[in-house]
Amino acid sequence: MQGWTRGRLTFSCIRVSLGGMMRQGESGFAAGLMAALPIVLGYFPIAFSFGVAGTRAGLGFAEVMAFSVIMYSGAAQFLAVALVSGGAPLLVSVFTLVAMGLRHLAYGPALMAAAGTRQQTRRAWVWAFGLTDEVFGTALGALSRGRRFSEPFMFGLGLAAYVAWVSGTAAGAAAGGGALAAYPAVEAALGFMLPALFLALLLSILSRAQLPVIAVAAVVTVGVTLLHSATSGILSGMVAGALAGLSRGRA
Amino acid sequence: MRAEVLALVVIVGAATWAFRYLPFRLNLSALSAGGWPGRMLAATGPAAIAALFAVSVLPLLAGGVQAPFWAGTAAVIGLWFWCRSVVLATLGGALVYGVVFAI
Repeated sequence: MQGWTRGRLTFSCIRVSLGGMMRQGESGFAAGLMAALPIVLGYFPIAFSFGVAGTRAGLGFAEVMAFSVIMYSGAAQFLAVALVSGGAPLLVSVFTLVAMGLRHLAYGPALMAAAGTRQQTRRAWVWAFGLTDEVFGTALGALSRGRRFSEPFMFGLGLAAYVAWVSGTAAGAAAGGGALAAYPAVEAALGFMLPALFLALLLSILSRAQLPVIAVAAVVTVGVTLLHSATSGILSGMVAGALAGLSRGRA
Repeated sequence: MRAEVLALVVIVGAATWAFRYLPFRLNLSALSAGGWPGRMLAATGPAAIAALFAVSVLPLLAGGVQAPFWAGTAAVIGLWFWCRSVVLATLGGALVYGVVFAI
């Protein structure tokens, strides 16, 4: 609620997020589509760079598209391309990528915890397909700012993000591996898009009570990643941050 | 399309979908009504995003030139506190990163 109040006071800034133009209580399909605008604008260029990276690594157009259409997990897709192009055995690749996806197990309960009382999730088998890191972060941010949870909202949010990701991938794969070779600054900027998106999402849900959680998660993630691997780092950081949440009092 | 690529995509895609959906099917939210499970689960979201952010910036910090990273990060933070808009902060941060990189 504090963030919502602060947001109302920033009238001097041009608000691109259409979600801010709607009342907090609106949580239908259209509201989900509009709330996804930041993700759409962020996903398209990132997916474009994935399409370029995939074709650069020697994958065909259909193979690159299959990653985005079926797997639909950005960070895992980049890692998968590296594994496939590096000649990693299928079982090793599967194990690595499945382990990396384990973090998604925490998103549903965290979302339901933020949503409050028991919510209708009958159609979760459809919209949960689109519960990516950024969709989860955006939904969590919306809920923390007072928006009601609803399945149509989640479906709209996920669908817009999915369409942006798939179309961005198609554009990048069609452009080909050398598309950005002549524009190193653009390529560098696209490479920063994902961390920038994570940071912005982190800021959107930031609160005094969550600061220790975020600090512990970040420190543990960095330490374990440097010592072992990024996948272990993510899982360890999540667990450590969640455990840190136990030590703080009730909000 | 190579069969092994298709197999990888289908298996990992199915697992990812299951990881995203099963917590709702198993109604783990019942654990979050209060007490320590609720506090831990409420902390999981911010912890996950913090972990993903940390992992995504490590390769950028590992490189020799870090000025674009710090400039881009400062832009994201500054734009966020100015506008409270995820999209402006993200795109502005990437733009500043690219400009400083070019310089």
